[in-house]
Amino acid sequence: MKIRVNGVERTLEVDPEMPLLWALRDTLGLTGTKYGCGEALCGACTVHVDGLAVRSCVTPMRRVDGKAVTTIEGLSKDGSHPLQQAWLALRVPQCGFCQTGQIMTAAALLAAKPRPNDADIDAAMAGNLCRCGTYPRIRAAIKKTAGVPRDEPGDDK
Amino acid sequence: MTDPVQITRRSFLVALNLGVGGLALGFHTLEASADEPTGFTGPGPRPVSQAHESATAGLAPNVLVHIAADATGTTTIICHRSEMGQGVRSSLPVLIADELGAKLEHVIVRQAIGDKKYGDQNTDGSSSIRKFLDDLRRAGAAARHMLIAAAAKQWKVRPETCIALDHQVVHPPTKRALGFGALVTAASKLPVPKLGELVLRPFKELRNVNHPSLPLLDGAGYVEGKALFGADVTLPGMLIAVIARPPVVGGTVASHDRAAALAVPGVKHVIAMPAPKRPWMFQPWGGIAIVADSTWAALKGRAALAVTWDDGTHASYDSASFRDELLASVRAPGTPLRSVGDVDAAIGTAARVVEAEYLVPHLAHLPMEPPAAIARFADGKAEVWAPTQHPQAARAEVARVLGIGEDKVTINVTLIGGGFGRKSKADFSSEAAFLAREVGAPVRVQWTRADDIHNGYYNAVNAQRLRAGFDANGKLVAWHHRTAFTPIGSTFNEAVVEPSLGDLQQGVLDLPLAIPNVRAEACKAKAPVRIGWYRSVYNIFHAFAVGSFIDELAHASKLDARDMWHAVLGPARKADLNELGITKLANYGESLDRHPVDAGRLRGVIDRVTASAKWDDRKRAGRHLGLAAHRSFVAYTAVVISVVPDPVRKFRIDEAWIAMDAGTVVNIDRVHAQMEGGLIMGISNALYGGITLKRGRVEQSNFRDARIARIRDVPRRIHTDLVASEAPPSGVGEPPVPPVGAALANAVFALTGQRIREFPITRALGI
Amino acid sequence: MQVPLAIGLVLAGSACGGGTPRSHAPLVLREVPITELRSVGDFAGITDSTARSQALFGEASRVLLHPRCINCHPAGDVPHQGMQLQLHDPPVVRGADNRGVAGMQCASCHQDRNQPMTRVPGAPNWHLAPIEMAWVGRSAGAICDQLKDPKRNGGKTLAQIVEHSAHDELVAWGWQPGADREPAPGTQQQFGALVAAWVETGAACPDNPQESR
Repeated sequence: MKIRVNGVERTLEVDPEMPLLWALRDTLGLTGTKYGCGEALCGACTVHVDGLAVRSCVTPMRRVDGKAVTTIEGLSKDGSHPLQQAWLALRVPQCGFCQTGQIMTAAALLAAKPRPNDADIDAAMAGNLCRCGTYPRIRAAIKKTAGVPRDEPGDDK
Repeated sequence: MTDPVQITRRSFLVALNLGVGGLALGFHTLEASADEPTGFTGPGPRPVSQAHESATAGLAPNVLVHIAADATGTTTIICHRSEMGQGVRSSLPVLIADELGAKLEHVIVRQAIGDKKYGDQNTDGSSSIRKFLDDLRRAGAAARHMLIAAAAKQWKVRPETCIALDHQVVHPPTKRALGFGALVTAASKLPVPKLGELVLRPFKELRNVNHPSLPLLDGAGYVEGKALFGADVTLPGMLIAVIARPPVVGGTVASHDRAAALAVPGVKHVIAMPAPKRPWMFQPWGGIAIVADSTWAALKGRAALAVTWDDGTHASYDSASFRDELLASVRAPGTPLRSVGDVDAAIGTAARVVEAEYLVPHLAHLPMEPPAAIARFADGKAEVWAPTQHPQAARAEVARVLGIGEDKVTINVTLIGGGFGRKSKADFSSEAAFLAREVGAPVRVQWTRADDIHNGYYNAVNAQRLRAGFDANGKLVAWHHRTAFTPIGSTFNEAVVEPSLGDLQQGVLDLPLAIPNVRAEACKAKAPVRIGWYRSVYNIFHAFAVGSFIDELAHASKLDARDMWHAVLGPARKADLNELGITKLANYGESLDRHPVDAGRLRGVIDRVTASAKWDDRKRAGRHLGLAAHRSFVAYTAVVISVVPDPVRKFRIDEAWIAMDAGTVVNIDRVHAQMEGGLIMGISNALYGGITLKRGRVEQSNFRDARIARIRDVPRRIHTDLVASEAPPSGVGEPPVPPVGAALANAVFALTGQRIREFPITRALGI
Repeated sequence: MQVPLAIGLVLAGSACGGGTPRSHAPLVLREVPITELRSVGDFAGITDSTARSQALFGEASRVLLHPRCINCHPAGDVPHQGMQLQLHDPPVVRGADNRGVAGMQCASCHQDRNQPMTRVPGAPNWHLAPIEMAWVGRSAGAICDQLKDPKRNGGKTLAQIVEHSAHDELVAWGWQPGADREPAPGTQQQFGALVAAWVETGAACPDNPQESR
């Protein structure tokens, strides 16, 4: 199977039904993509396949044959993606485990909707769990990246 | 800890395996106390005098700080506590660096292996800062004294006229300066100052401590995917294992299809795990391991194994009927552990009695990172990499399972992808070590989410019954509290079937009450399942019951909830044992002198949180608010939650306020983060918490049925208010959690008129 | 596929009583388990072609109203799941093209077929029915009217409806839902035949939607 991972062509001899997650982690050593639930319920394994945010834990390798996969390691070469920078500036992570998945989903959101409102963020980020409870800062970091105000007009403070 | 001692070059090399030379400082440490089965009720840190006595136990001194004799004086600081999101790696080393006068860009933080020489490494009980604040500062100060002494000697000036700043020793009168790197060789030959000679900097002069934009040490790793968690270590030739564990604790394998598992491509070994013996403690569960060349092959192999089980005696456990047993338990007298006046007489003559029962089910930790560990075994020695909160317990358990000495076991502590108490347990570490030895290759044990949910150490199920009596003038005259839950001690000793004095410190005994007749009773509860500590532990249900009951009393008395809290707590004062009606208080290992039961501080956070929430204004404006407060881990926390109607989900939390008084803090941003996150975990507990068992088996299996808060469950606005305080440091990680459940239930009552006395709220409301 | 007993009993109560419009059926149809469909031949005894058409639709509606089918025909913006029509969790929303929103698209999780090891259901072209095809909360009669209305059936002719019912791969998922999910009753072939027979008999809709279910 041939896939393009973070811009590099890779040929993998793996079970076509193996989820992309395990090919990334076990075969390619890209451990920034996390296993959290294995059933597309938590979002920790989110990567982009041809630009679409997918849960790699339920995506069989046969479905990504010939496609381009972007993982957190490929989102930027040096952590310079605006979301990564906002995440650091607002010190979003606590334990950090879910954050690569959160950032990959947020990147897909901003690519489709550069100035999301709270409802957009709720809808896009609904599939990414964080047990430490960093959601308020995730929301703030997305807004900071998008350059939208932290509180929406009409909010009663 | 006791006098800092100079580390010889040899022991330094053994300890750190770093370069050569330089100045290395550590402490003789007290041998870690035996594992405290109940987590927080042990003796806690010893006073210094006792530590002196034990310091001769022959333990190798540790190394906390090492300054290299290189151009910049590269400073290595050891973090001996585990990082699980509380920010300990961004906090503890900063204390040492600031006392030293180091520049953070010249500081390298290394994570300690599990070793008793470091003293208490059990990162649990919200204790890292409150136990180590002063000791770590002393380590930095000792190094500073020696560097200054070396410079003063060279310059022939008095040490008191020198300062250490920005990785240099400076003599301001003559504007001379020498970098740390140039001084360490001379400094290392000087005597180590005695504890009594050390002068700590004024706390406010610690430059990076509490700096509002102190960066996260591991921040870049987190956002770039380079941070190494438990499953992220890769060793050459490593195999991956998943284990079919018995779904009922103590169960054993009845049948399995070994050939079918081995027939799955990539599966290399099928190995029987050692069966645990009672009491369960930290032992692996047993079952059968599938070891393969990929996680996927191992998972497929486990599916093919078609294992069936003999469940054993614990299959009798049914949480629904156990709930009824607990209710029956609190409807009968228990063991009185707190008593003031005569509750029975006061209730008998009361003009009005209010009574309510509260229930909280098992709760699971559900860290986003399921347990995982990596191990290799060679030449009779085991080396493990694990996301462990308790590396010394992991070391001891690995040694026990392998039948080798602890000196043959190295535990490397990775970053922890959420711990919450689950990763204090050593079961996953010893599974990996056992398998590495059996297969003769490095092994990663990977738990699935279902494994995590099915084979956990759950927070105890609890029932409580509260009764209060009012006299004819509406004054509270009696408070009667019964609580039944299976203590964590039962996991270590099956004879433990009733909470102890130590267990009830968590929100029952340490509640200041301005009520003349008080009794608290512990009631029996024997649950055949492994109970473990889970972030804030018994405080979760005690705070839920007490916080809800005070709200019920307010409604019964037609009083505002805040006014009822004031009435229940009484005036600002420090409540002593006599007033509390108890013989002793475990007090999270702290003395009552240092950390009294302070009604004033509890009132203080209530007043602050209601002020920042504009409690009166919002209530007048028709907002639906709930209030609760709680003392835990010697910190004081109060929460206000606001809910609004929602057409589909009945209500939505639109805003929340949390105020905390935790005394001295070290990393103010991480404390605010703990307040935000603890509040949200409290929301998860209340909205969704509820692990249930049938025939001894956990019924939930993934986030679809073991749910936690998602982003839309969380208020878009959370206001955190931290009391600026110079009081001794309290816990920070756990105290934000307990008051949330009651505050939320009280807010839902304000909105719907429905009183919720049981988690999860979503089930109670049918949503 | 083992069907949980409690759910089976609940369905038995509603499906046997309401699945067939009795007022128009001059003969008692043979009893079938709730997991099965009556065949077209079972309706041959209904001589009035309108009544027979209505009865055929009633039988087909046991599929249409099954949670495997209506869960993805929600009346709002959130699909359902499970036998009790719970709201889909993780929370997803319809989006402009009925395929979710950025970051949370149907295809973010659902594949072209069921994934047995991960429980995630899948079929080609996994998506929500457009809002005009909403079925949740509607009677069989109302759904029948909807199916015949090109404005509310995706612009399909009746022949295309028959073809869709009998052969569409996403519709087919209803009988192969994977994991422990209860399939729709009968088979897609039987369902297709019932819809075809309904069309051949005039595509009559149950005329009292309130009582037809």
